[in-house]
Amino acid sequence: MENFGYLLAAFSAAWAVVFAYLLLLLNRQKKLHQEINLLKEELKGK
Amino acid sequence: MNFWRKVIAIARKDTLAEMRTRETVSAVLVFTLLVIVIFNFAFGANPGIAKEVASGMLWVTFAFAGVLSFNRSFIVEKEENCLEGLMIAPISREVIYVGKLLASLLVMLIIEIIALPVFALLFNLDVLSIQLVIIIVLTTLGFVAVGTLFSAMAVNTKAREMVLPILFLPIIVPVIISAVKASDLALSGGSWTTLASWLQIIGAFDVIFLVASFLIFTYVIEE
Amino acid sequence: MKKRILLGLGFLLILLSLYLVFLFVPTEKEMGIVQRIFYLMVPSAWTALLSFLFVFAASILYLASRKSKWDILAHSAAEIGLAFTSLTLIVGSIWARPIWGVWWTWEARLTATLVLWFIYLTYFIVPSMVTDESRAARFAAVVGIVGFLDVPIVILATTLWRGLHPAPIIFQGGIAPPMLLTILASVAAFTVLYFILLMLRVSIKTDEVELKKLRELPD
Repeated sequence: MENFGYLLAAFSAAWAVVFAYLLLLLNRQKKLHQEINLLKEELKGK
Repeated sequence: MNFWRKVIAIARKDTLAEMRTRETVSAVLVFTLLVIVIFNFAFGANPGIAKEVASGMLWVTFAFAGVLSFNRSFIVEKEENCLEGLMIAPISREVIYVGKLLASLLVMLIIEIIALPVFALLFNLDVLSIQLVIIIVLTTLGFVAVGTLFSAMAVNTKAREMVLPILFLPIIVPVIISAVKASDLALSGGSWTTLASWLQIIGAFDVIFLVASFLIFTYVIEE
Repeated sequence: MKKRILLGLGFLLILLSLYLVFLFVPTEKEMGIVQRIFYLMVPSAWTALLSFLFVFAASILYLASRKSKWDILAHSAAEIGLAFTSLTLIVGSIWARPIWGVWWTWEARLTATLVLWFIYLTYFIVPSMVTDESRAARFAAVVGIVGFLDVPIVILATTLWRGLHPAPIIFQGGIAPPMLLTILASVAAFTVLYFILLMLRVSIKTDEVELKKLRELPD
């Protein structure tokens, strides 16, 4: 089981990158929805 | 045949303008010679090493010379608002592209013709081979094909002179690789068969990017 | 509904490929367990290239139609492509260390991936320096098209220049069926993952563009 550390590092890096990006996107989507709702409120108030 | 006459007209205009001032040729030539000399300081102390990296040095020099000269190609148009004039004229955008390409090609070839003997002199190389000439002509054609397109783009950006190398250098990587390997073989007296595959790559690059840039140029130039 | 199916499928494929990679496939004798990184490298490089194909197609469609949805698709594909190219470089580097003893080597595939990475980067840098928006989108499209056309030539030149890295050893005498299954499953998993990310990114970008338009409306 030599080099197991590298194997682990590679797979961890891969999933870290994928999940970080996914989380980033989901976060942005949530913020966008909040903004849209805010705008909707503003428009209603006019 | 009308097309070629218009193209020649544009190429002539650029070349005449250049011949009157000699701005681009002299600046790029001085730069090229300086780079060769500086490379000599970096590598030349040991003549063995110099021989090994010779073709690499040659092509790095030509690539950077290309960046400099292509930058000029469209900046001059922008300066006097010539570009609008060109676009209003009854010529197709493709004519502008080919015309500028030919003018840039001429400038590059002149610079290379002068730089090559200097290079040979300083590094004690025998460069008078038809192989090397063919390599240089083919590669320069590839450079100019994409360089003209990118120059038209770069001139419309905020950081003109910096954008061109960012666009240009990654795209010409395969051509540089092939030109350096081919030049290496040519300088050490290789046969045409060894050069063949590298020349094919450069040739393919030339064809693909001449056609692509020809088609895309109009999208880059429009307002 | 389609999204749920895709997510479910993706999740299953990921589990399946993880099982195959770690428990099913036998250890390769030359490289040991590190060889399993191969099942990460190939899918990652594959998605990076697939993404560029999308950038290319969407860029052409944008230049032809000027419809913003194509620019959105191209931009999203470029972003995800950049991420996967970076991943390929990182994983490639991690694999290089135990195999060749160095963190980086100028062998054909790594070098080609690096060039691809730079071209992807250019796709973002150039439009950022253009003030007019529609021009920025046009220039990005041009980079997308020219860059993609360059990719096969880059791969050809780097392969001719350096020769292939050890991966072909695995293919000596045909690839063993368990390995084939594992690699196919991994590629499938990554591809589904890619489409999920792409759809997400496109919907976000579409919303962003709409939001911007709404903001610019006179009150």
